[in-house]
Amino acid sequence: MPRLQEEGSGPVHGFWMSTVGSARPTETGTVHQPTGLDLAMKLHYIKSVYIYSAETTRDLTVMHVKETFFTVLDQISWITGRLRRRDSGRPFIKCNDCGTRVVESQCDLTVDEWLCAPDRSVDESLVYHQPIGPELAYSPLIYIQMTRFKCGGLAIGFSWAHIIGDPHSLSHFFNLWTRALAGEQIYFPKTSDLERCFQNPNSTGKEPVSIKRVDPVGDLWVAPSNSKMTTYSFNILSGIIWKCIAKSRGEPEPVTITIIRSDPNGLKPRVVRNSQMISSVHVDFSVAEAKLEEIVKAIGKATDERSEINKIGESDDGALDFVVYGAKLTFVDMSEVGFYDAKVKDTSPRSVYCNVQGIGDDGEVVVLPAAVEEEMVVTVTLPEDEIEKVKWELKKCGLIKALINGE
Amino acid sequence: MSPPKMPDLSTSTKHKYVKLGYQYLVNNFLTLLLIPILAYTALELFRMGPEEILNHLNSLNFNLLHILCSSFLIIFVSTVYFMSKPRTIYLVDYSCFKPPVTCRVPFATFMEHSRLNLIDSPKSVEFQMRILERSGLGEETCLPPAIHYIPPTPTMDAARSEAELVIFTAMDDLFKKTGLKPKDIDILIVNCSLFSPTPSLSAMIINKYKLRSNIKSLNLSGMGCSASLISVDVARDLLQVHPNSNAVIVSTEIITPNYYQGKERAMLLPNCLFRMGAAAILLSNRRSDRWRAKYNLCHLVRTHRGAEDKSYYCVYEQEDDESHVGINLNKDLMAIAGEALKSNITTIGPLVLPASEQLLFLTSLIGRKIFNAKWKPYIPDFKMALEHFCIHAGGRAVIDELQKSLQLSAEHVEASRMTLHRFGNTSSSSLWYELSYIEAKGKMKRGDRVWQIAFGSGFKCNSAVWKSNRTIKTPTEGPWSDCIDRYPVFIPEVVKL
Repeated sequence: MPRLQEEGSGPVHGFWMSTVGSARPTETGTVHQPTGLDLAMKLHYIKSVYIYSAETTRDLTVMHVKETFFTVLDQISWITGRLRRRDSGRPFIKCNDCGTRVVESQCDLTVDEWLCAPDRSVDESLVYHQPIGPELAYSPLIYIQMTRFKCGGLAIGFSWAHIIGDPHSLSHFFNLWTRALAGEQIYFPKTSDLERCFQNPNSTGKEPVSIKRVDPVGDLWVAPSNSKMTTYSFNILSGIIWKCIAKSRGEPEPVTITIIRSDPNGLKPRVVRNSQMISSVHVDFSVAEAKLEEIVKAIGKATDERSEINKIGESDDGALDFVVYGAKLTFVDMSEVGFYDAKVKDTSPRSVYCNVQGIGDDGEVVVLPAAVEEEMVVTVTLPEDEIEKVKWELKKCGLIKALINGE
Repeated sequence: MSPPKMPDLSTSTKHKYVKLGYQYLVNNFLTLLLIPILAYTALELFRMGPEEILNHLNSLNFNLLHILCSSFLIIFVSTVYFMSKPRTIYLVDYSCFKPPVTCRVPFATFMEHSRLNLIDSPKSVEFQMRILERSGLGEETCLPPAIHYIPPTPTMDAARSEAELVIFTAMDDLFKKTGLKPKDIDILIVNCSLFSPTPSLSAMIINKYKLRSNIKSLNLSGMGCSASLISVDVARDLLQVHPNSNAVIVSTEIITPNYYQGKERAMLLPNCLFRMGAAAILLSNRRSDRWRAKYNLCHLVRTHRGAEDKSYYCVYEQEDDESHVGINLNKDLMAIAGEALKSNITTIGPLVLPASEQLLFLTSLIGRKIFNAKWKPYIPDFKMALEHFCIHAGGRAVIDELQKSLQLSAEHVEASRMTLHRFGNTSSSSLWYELSYIEAKGKMKRGDRVWQIAFGSGFKCNSAVWKSNRTIKTPTEGPWSDCIDRYPVFIPEVVKL
C-alpha cells in the first residue's frame, strides 16, 4: 500500500494499523451533506500533533486510548463514514460507521530529545497521512497515529480531511477526547443544515479572490502544486513576514493575501464544521516599501468571503475542485485555538504542531500558540526555491537568529 | 379416523375440529378408559350396600402378618423406585458474555479490512461481500481485538487474552447472579473447539478462581458447535454419580487463532459468520436448588453421523495451497444437516411428542413402507409438545432449513434469527444467547418446554429439552438488556452495502 512516510528509515517506526469507530450503530441510510464551503476545502487536510510527556501518559494503554475514541466518535459518528458521489458528481458522506484508521508506532527518542529540534517540521513524521482516493468509498477521512516514545511519552497525530471541519473543530474534538479520558460525560450537539449556512450582511457579491479553481483531480483529492513545498518553523511573532516575503519575491509582489482565522461570532456550543473566516486583504501600495503600520491596518480591513466561497463551492453541484490555502499567500491564525486545553491528567501537552497538507503555490504561514503562554509558533510553507531568500530577509529584520539546518 | 395426509387439509375448520377431537381422544386415552371402569365400580358399590361390602372384606381373612408384609412390600417397592429414578438436573442459572463496544465490527469496516487484507484477490473480496449481504448478521457483531488489525495479529498471547476476557467475564457474571462461591464448584467442564492451549482452558479457570484441588475438571476441544450440549450431557452423567453436587459449564469459541488468512472462498465463509461469544452455565442436582433453578433437564439426545464419509468431511479443517489453515465448508452441508436432524428427531420424538402425534407418525411410516411409498411423510407437530425453540444460529440457511423441516412459524425461530443478527454465529454458546432472548422478551412461563438443537462438525446433531421451573420476570439482566427493545428487527434478504 503506498505510503507518504518512509518506513523504518527514521526514528519513528512500527505502523500497526487498526480501526476505531462509534460505539452504537448509525441508522441505515443516514447521510451527511457537505456545504459549499466544505467542498471548497476538500483538497486540504489538517495535520495536528499533540505530544505528552512520560509522566502524563506512561500508564495510558493503547486500549484505553481506543476505548475513549469510541466514546467520542459515538457522539459524532458521521465523521467515521465514507465519501460517495451522487449521480451529479457531488460528494456526500455515507454514514456507514466504517471508522477512522488508527496507526500505532514507536519512536527511538525520548520526548525531550524529540522536542530539542527547533525546527518543528519533524512533527510531520508523527502524523500518518494518506489523501482521500483514488477510491472514495474506501478512504478514511481521519487518520490517528499514536507514537510511543522511548521514555513512555505519547504523541497523538491527526490527519483530518478539511471537508469535515476546520482546525477549531479538530481541536474541539480532541479536547472532548481528553475530557472523556478523564471520565467526564461528553456531549456533541447535532448540527442542522440550516445552522451551517453563512449569511454575510456585508456580502459584496464579488467573486472571492481567496479561492482558486484547479483542474479536476477526479477521485484522488490531492491539491496540485507545481513547486515542491517545504516547511520551516521558528519561534517569533508573525505579521511582518508578508513584508519579508514581498521583499524577497520582488515583482510581481503579493498584494493580495488570504487570512484564515476563527469566526469571532462563531456558534456556541462548538460543533465539527467548516466555520473558519476566510477573508481577503488587497493593498494598492508596494508591500516591500510600505511601513509596517500601514500593512497591519490593511490586514485589519480584511473582507469576509465565506458566503461567496460557499456559493462557488456549490456551483456545478459540488463537482468542481478548488484550492483555498495557497491560492494566494495565506496567513492562518490559529492563536485562539485551544490546543493546550487538551489536558491528560490535568497536564497540557508538551507541544502542539498544526499545519495544512495540500497548499497551493503561493504559500502559507500558520501562527500557533506555543506551550509557554504569550509565545507563538510560526510555520511557513513556501516553494522550495523561495524559502532561502525569505529566510535571509527574516534574518535581516532580526527575527530569526540562526536555524539548525542550513546555516 | 383422519387419513395421514392431515397437514394438507388442516386449514379447513371442520378438519381442525376433527383433529382436535382425535388428539384429545388419543392423548387422554387412559383417563377416558378409566372413567367407565370407575363408574361401573361405583355403581356396583352403591348396588351392594354397606353390609355386603363389609362381608366381602372380612372374607378376605386379613391378619396382622399379611398387613405388615403388604405394607413392607409397598414401602420397599416405593423406595427402590425413588432411589433408582435418575436425579433431576437443575439449571440454576446461566450468563452470556456481552462483548465490549470496542470490538464492534460494522459491515463497512469488515469489507474495508477485507479489501486491504486480500488486496491481490478482488474476487475473494467480492465473494465475502455477497456472503455478508445475505448473512443475516447485523452491525453490532464483535470480533476480538487482534482481528481488528490490518493484517490481523493472531498471536498465542492474543488468543489467551481473548479467552480470559470472554470466559472470566461470563463467569464473574454467573457468580454474581447465583451467589456461587468458586470453592463450591464440584465439576467444571469447558468446551472450546478450536483453541486448546496447554495448560487447558479449564486449568486457566481453576488457576484464576483458585478452585478446589479435588475438582472434577474436563476440557472438550475439537467437538464443534454442538459441544455445549455434549458438555451438558457429560455433566448430567457425572451428576448422577455424585450426589449433592453442582457443575459449571463454560461454552465458548476463541476466534483469534482461527481467522482464515488465505483466499480460498469455501474457507472464507467462517470469517464472515463466526463472532465472539461465551456462556457459563450452573447445573446442580441438589434438592435445595429446586426452588431457585430456572429449568429442569428433561431429555438430551446426541446423534453422530460421522460413520458416513459424506458427513465426516462436510466441515473439515485443512490447509489451502498457500499453507493457510482454515475450515472448509462443503456445499452439501444443508442436506447433511437435514439428515442429522431427522435421525435426532426419530429418537427425541417419542420422548416429547404426545401419543396422538406419535400414532399419526407411526401410521404414516407404516403406510409408506407397506402401502404406498409416495405418501407424503407426516411431520410431527412439535409445536404441540414444545413452546420454545432454540436453533443453533449457524447461519441463515440453517435456520431457514429447520424452519421448513419442522414447519415452525416465524415467531418460533425469532430467537435464533435475532441472535444471529445481534451476535453473529457464536458457535457453541449461541443456544444460550437465544434462550436469553426468549427470557428477555418475557415469553418464558412456568411449565414451558424449550428445545435446544445444535449442529456441529462430525457431523453431529445434539438436542436437549428443558422445562421451565418458574416464570422469568422482565426486565432481565443479560446480553440483551440494552437492546431488547429494538428487537425483533426486520432482516432483509439482501443488505445493500
